[in-house]
Amino acid sequence: MKRAITLLSFGAILAFASSQLLAAGNAENGKQKAATCFACHGTDGNAVDPQYPRLAGQYNLYLQRVLHEYKDGQRDNPIMKGMVATLSDQDIEDVSAYFSGLPSKLDTLKNHISGSK
Amino acid sequence: MTRLPLLGVAMATALFAAASVHAEGDKAAGRALVYTCAGCHGVPGYTNAYPQYPVPKIAGQNEQYIINALQGYQNGGRKHPTMDAQAQSLSATDIQNIAAYLSSLAK
Repeated sequence: MKRAITLLSFGAILAFASSQLLAAGNAENGKQKAATCFACHGTDGNAVDPQYPRLAGQYNLYLQRVLHEYKDGQRDNPIMKGMVATLSDQDIEDVSAYFSGLPSKLDTLKNHISGSK
Repeated sequence: MTRLPLLGVAMATALFAAASVHAEGDKAAGRALVYTCAGCHGVPGYTNAYPQYPVPKIAGQNEQYIINALQGYQNGGRKHPTMDAQAQSLSATDIQNIAAYLSSLAK
């Protein structure tokens, strides 16, 4: 029993470590690659034009996911399809690492619904 | 000749007024509506299954982007099983109200 628990915790650590690895991107490189994004999404990742989303502080893995969706057409957006067409998987990880690490105006809905103060 | 520019100004004003009215959502109504959303979007770091990635932070997101996103789930431009179903239940006014409330939460 003790052994099973030890094994399980090893498994959990491994799973955790690999998910961190998956998330890894280089934010410094991402900043260079993100230059074209700034025109619409803002230099600080907070788009001024309300038709474009704020990216600053959004979840890294969510940004990666969405960029892939624009690329493969699962999300249908002509502008973003053009922008991501030239991005490699590594570019997507780096750009996502950069924007997700910026100071954010975003939040979850926790404490923002009826019943919460 | 002075009449033409005047007419232009009048039309521009009318258009602007119409656009402003159009964009105006009811934040209080929006707050009531997003109760459902909090089941996933209200849990920090929550990851949905199939496909697995974090549910985005939407409080403080920009107004027209939220409107476009929800309409995208309605018309198929965006695909996500849960969000498709959620968006189908929303009227155009609901969407405006939700967007007005969420965008007002920017930190």
